[in-house]
Amino acid sequence: MIDLISQLLPFFVIVPIIIAVFLYVFSSKQMARKVAILFQAAFVVFAFLLLRQSLEGELLLNVGQYAGFLGIILRADYLAAIFVLLTSVIFLMLAIYSLNNDNTSLYWFLIFILEGAIVGLFLTRDFFNFFVLVEVSTVVVTILLMYDVKRRNMFTGIKFVMINIVAMQFYLFGVGYLYMITGALDMVAIYYATQEMDRAQLVLPYVLVMTSIAAKTSMLPTLTFLPKVNSMLGAHTPVAAIISGLQIKIGVYMFIRVQTVFGGVFPEARQLFLVVAIVSAFAGVVLALAQKEIRLVLAYSTMAQVSLIMIGLNIGGLYSFTGAVFHILNHAIFKVALFMAAGMIAHRYGTGDITKVRGLFRHSPVIAISTALAVLGMVGMPLFNGFVSKYFLAYDAPLYLEWIINVINLGTMLVFVRFSAMFFGRPNAVISESDSARQISTFVMGAACLVIGVGGVWIMRFLFGLDVEFTAAEVAEKCAIFLGSLVIALLVYRLVLAKHEIFIRLRGFDLSFKMLCASIGVFFGGFLLFL
Amino acid sequence: MRLDIFTMVMFFVSFFGLITSRTIIKSIVFILIMQTSVVMFWLIVGNMHGSLPPIDVYNIDAENISDPLPQALMLSAIVIGISVITVSITMFNNLFRKYETASWDHMEKVYSNEGEGEQ
Repeated sequence: MIDLISQLLPFFVIVPIIIAVFLYVFSSKQMARKVAILFQAAFVVFAFLLLRQSLEGELLLNVGQYAGFLGIILRADYLAAIFVLLTSVIFLMLAIYSLNNDNTSLYWFLIFILEGAIVGLFLTRDFFNFFVLVEVSTVVVTILLMYDVKRRNMFTGIKFVMINIVAMQFYLFGVGYLYMITGALDMVAIYYATQEMDRAQLVLPYVLVMTSIAAKTSMLPTLTFLPKVNSMLGAHTPVAAIISGLQIKIGVYMFIRVQTVFGGVFPEARQLFLVVAIVSAFAGVVLALAQKEIRLVLAYSTMAQVSLIMIGLNIGGLYSFTGAVFHILNHAIFKVALFMAAGMIAHRYGTGDITKVRGLFRHSPVIAISTALAVLGMVGMPLFNGFVSKYFLAYDAPLYLEWIINVINLGTMLVFVRFSAMFFGRPNAVISESDSARQISTFVMGAACLVIGVGGVWIMRFLFGLDVEFTAAEVAEKCAIFLGSLVIALLVYRLVLAKHEIFIRLRGFDLSFKMLCASIGVFFGGFLLFL
Repeated sequence: MRLDIFTMVMFFVSFFGLITSRTIIKSIVFILIMQTSVVMFWLIVGNMHGSLPPIDVYNIDAENISDPLPQALMLSAIVIGISVITVSITMFNNLFRKYETASWDHMEKVYSNEGEGEQ
């Protein structure tokens, strides 16, 4: 059985591409889109079967039948399978979301090509293959961002492409160096090779690869630039959702993989990542408070949440690690839901300005309820998904770190208290109605936050094999902290933020391309000196 | 002189060039140099000890054959590099028509003024 499913691994990359070609030809017909969505739903089922199989044991396929580490190896362990399932679910929802849009065939083609590239990225075990697929996904995302001729935002786009190219050159250089000293490209082969190697030899390739990953995950070096791209107003909602929900996770996935190879050699690098992640989490919160466009707020809060995930990954305990991986899933789900809702709000009222949109609950209850569910998940309300993952993320943390996480969460709450002003008040004039396909997909994503939260412990046991129970005392403590920070957030908002826009100066905060390159260089140099 | 160190120096010199270059087109050229130096590095990795190319395999020692894998990988890396460079040149071309400047700073200024106008 396992052999058979292993043989099917390449099809997880091929099937989305076949759907893409099919849609490129037929996407003008409504019927064809529905068929494609059916296929995508079947794909989700297969991804789930893959996950179930991979929980029993790692699936391997040696493409080209070369023995040993010569060929490219596709691998589906539980981590890769979880990411594949997540990717397929998100793309299914986005396909449903844009069912009735008047998008051209190029849009549909690129969306599914992107899915194929991202799935391939999660399944590969080869460093070079990874490089190729990341570059493919970068080019596809760029074309998708620039795809609307009238509203596109070229200047941010060119920065995005060029920074990504520069970051990937660092990666390629690092992989080349690894190939020089180990003679292998396979992650496992390199892991074995590094066990007998001198530490000093590995410093340069590790730093090169990590610099590029740090630039990709919008950690310190590229602090302010990914959010700008995320929220480019010209981009379609699904594209923005993909970038914020999935594209950043590629960097995080890469980080996990590289850390499994090198984590034992450089245990002290964790401290540096922790510091960088904490700084960037606070920066994300502050910058999110300064914005007033919904999408920009969401994009900057992504920065804070990804940094939170990085903190969890670098604490070093098993529970924190699994909590962080679980938070990756949860973050993808509620962020995609929020982006979909934001797209619907902008479509409906013709504005995406937090200070202008009012009265959502009365006028568009579906949008309001799904937004509210996603927001509650995000701030970590008990019973919602964010609560479970944040609970385990802080499980192994020492006390001071736990409080830092709580403060970051307080900042997130502050951001979304400001957000919730949209729910009440006098409704705006409606420009155009949003169709049912959009409402259904957004509501499903919002409801998923609650479902995952209620079944959180069970899901943790199923996915990660961790036998966990909430103890009543700890849950009570967390609830108290949650309520306390909610009260503080409300008070701060009422007393300070609502009256004085203290962060207003930061609104246009942006780094030029030269500064971005320089910050990559500074990170590289600092990291090299640190090791 | 060791060529791999030479390519490494070339890589970082072009990276320094990226930090200092004022115009977009120069930045693109520096990225090209960066890519070239990485490709050269890989090719040198495949041929560290003055070994021979694996063409006439029956007439050279098995120990003296150079590694063909980096060449094959670099072919795809070059293709990818060209395509991403093409994307950025196309975008630059578009921007140049719109703003009539190639300077990063000048374009940034015009662009941010435009953005404030929209809000």
